[in-house]
Amino acid sequence: MNVIETIELCKRYGERLVVDHLSLTVGSGEVFGFLGPNGAGKTTTIAMLLGLVKPTKGKAIVLGHDMQREPTLALRRVGAMIEAPAFYPYLSGADNLRVLALAGGIPVERVAQTLDIVDLRERARDKVATYSQGMKQRLAIAAALLPDPELIILDEPTNGLDPAGTVEIRNLIRSLAGSGRTILLCSHQLHEVEQLCQRVAIMKEGKLIAAGDVATLLRRGQGVRVRVQGDPASAVSLLHSLEWVAGVTVQGDTIIVDAPASRTAEINTLLIRANIVVTEIGASSTSLEEFFLSVTQAES
Amino acid sequence: MDTGAIFINLLAAEWMKISRRPMALLLLGIFLTLTMLQQTLWFLVVALQEGFFSGSGTTFGILSAAALEQVKRQLSLPGVFGAMLSAINGTGGILAIILTAGLFGSDFNWGTLRVLLTRAPSRGAYLLAKLTALQLALLVAMVITLIVGTLLSLFFSAILGLPQQADISAFLLLPLGMLRSLLVLVPYTLIAAASAIVGRSVIAGVGGGLIFLVFDVSAGSLNTISAVDPMIRVLVNLLLQPNIDRLIVDNSQMFGLDQSVLTGALDRNLLPSSWQAISVIVVYSVIFGYSAYRTLKRQDIGGAN
Repeated sequence: MNVIETIELCKRYGERLVVDHLSLTVGSGEVFGFLGPNGAGKTTTIAMLLGLVKPTKGKAIVLGHDMQREPTLALRRVGAMIEAPAFYPYLSGADNLRVLALAGGIPVERVAQTLDIVDLRERARDKVATYSQGMKQRLAIAAALLPDPELIILDEPTNGLDPAGTVEIRNLIRSLAGSGRTILLCSHQLHEVEQLCQRVAIMKEGKLIAAGDVATLLRRGQGVRVRVQGDPASAVSLLHSLEWVAGVTVQGDTIIVDAPASRTAEINTLLIRANIVVTEIGASSTSLEEFFLSVTQAES
Repeated sequence: MDTGAIFINLLAAEWMKISRRPMALLLLGIFLTLTMLQQTLWFLVVALQEGFFSGSGTTFGILSAAALEQVKRQLSLPGVFGAMLSAINGTGGILAIILTAGLFGSDFNWGTLRVLLTRAPSRGAYLLAKLTALQLALLVAMVITLIVGTLLSLFFSAILGLPQQADISAFLLLPLGMLRSLLVLVPYTLIAAASAIVGRSVIAGVGGGLIFLVFDVSAGSLNTISAVDPMIRVLVNLLLQPNIDRLIVDNSQMFGLDQSVLTGALDRNLLPSSWQAISVIVVYSVIFGYSAYRTLKRQDIGGAN
């Protein structure tokens, strides 16, 4: 079952198409990475998923409910943290959560439980105005967890956290994912996304430019890296002639061969037989960060 | 969860926010201080005019005899009720605009509206709950003002030896007076709410509310010029101010005051009828309230600004 489904979702502000015919699905129990450079349209998409922004065209369906028609039915099963944490500075952390619990008809006992989850119990009675950025971030996560949601939308959850706090939140997301909840994670920490998400979608200038299984996407960028003595032209020509090589590119003194890493030894043998001196050879792996940069920069 | 339960939950949340907000307490403090200063001034005027401080019988002719009598009534029961309710509709109106703009605008400024609407997405219920909580807060402020004002007037009138003429009927009329005063504040709070929503900020709410107030009071004051053309008077009487003045006069008279002695603008003969006053205030409130609702309903809700 799809927990999130967008169908040709569009949002236009004046002349600018901020979200451009976005169609994507997020399945139940998935940890889904929603990526893109600043201004790509991620937050606007999230806002449409939460019924805060009205689509110009298309549909946003969350937990089976059209967000234009039945937002209440969906939102009582959704927890969200969007961009920067927003709280009433004159109220304590616990009272801020109480306001949200009251507004959402959520049992007030959940306040203490969620404060425990994000380890804020000791400062719960202090005014939010006295909180550090990291504490506000945790409180925002607590607010998202308040309704014990089936779907959690987290927009930059580790923003402003120190390394220890980041690891803590990452572990928290892992444990939430382990409990069968669906998580939509927006983050510029691509290392974090790579560790946590099974699937990702990458947006740029409102358009979906890549989507799929993380492992498959990264395999797309894998290949064999070769360095040879002297002019690489003859090596490039030889590699091009192989039918299982999808492409060959030269980056400085390195030849990147678009071929399965399992063929590394075979490539080495063929080059040596052709009297080409191989000085370095190995499988080239791509991180999500490299993949993200390659797709987002390639499109510009 | 049914609509009623959603509204009650939201009302409880809004009440929690407003009752703990330092700004609300500060505005109440300012209003009480101003009201007490006003009463102290009345006390001084009566004391000086009647030679209370000189002991030698020297008096100051500050006010006419009728005006002095009026001020004395404002310091004694039941006139103090009418005087306090007039103050609530005067200075209190400005403070109510500031409070309303603060309540609505800060939800945009802090980005808290976005968070709240992810928990309770009915924007109509949010608006209604916030306005109801605001009216409840104004009612509480009104009760506090009446208590403080009455106690202070009892103190001053005891010093001055003024007679108290309060019977049970004056106290029974108080709820009606309070309701009238609250009705007078409703259009001001709604224009401030609509302005804050349209401008998505506190400053827009305060600006919109006060600009309307200044325009309305200025244009409405044309009514006090007796030479004004009757046709123009009819049009001027469709503005809020003359109608608000009418309810203030009704409240004052109910507690034995005749404020036209002190202020020409409150001459009953120049003002519209009570029914017109109520109808015009309700129409303005509906227009402002609907504008606020329609704007909020159609708005895309962003983060903090």
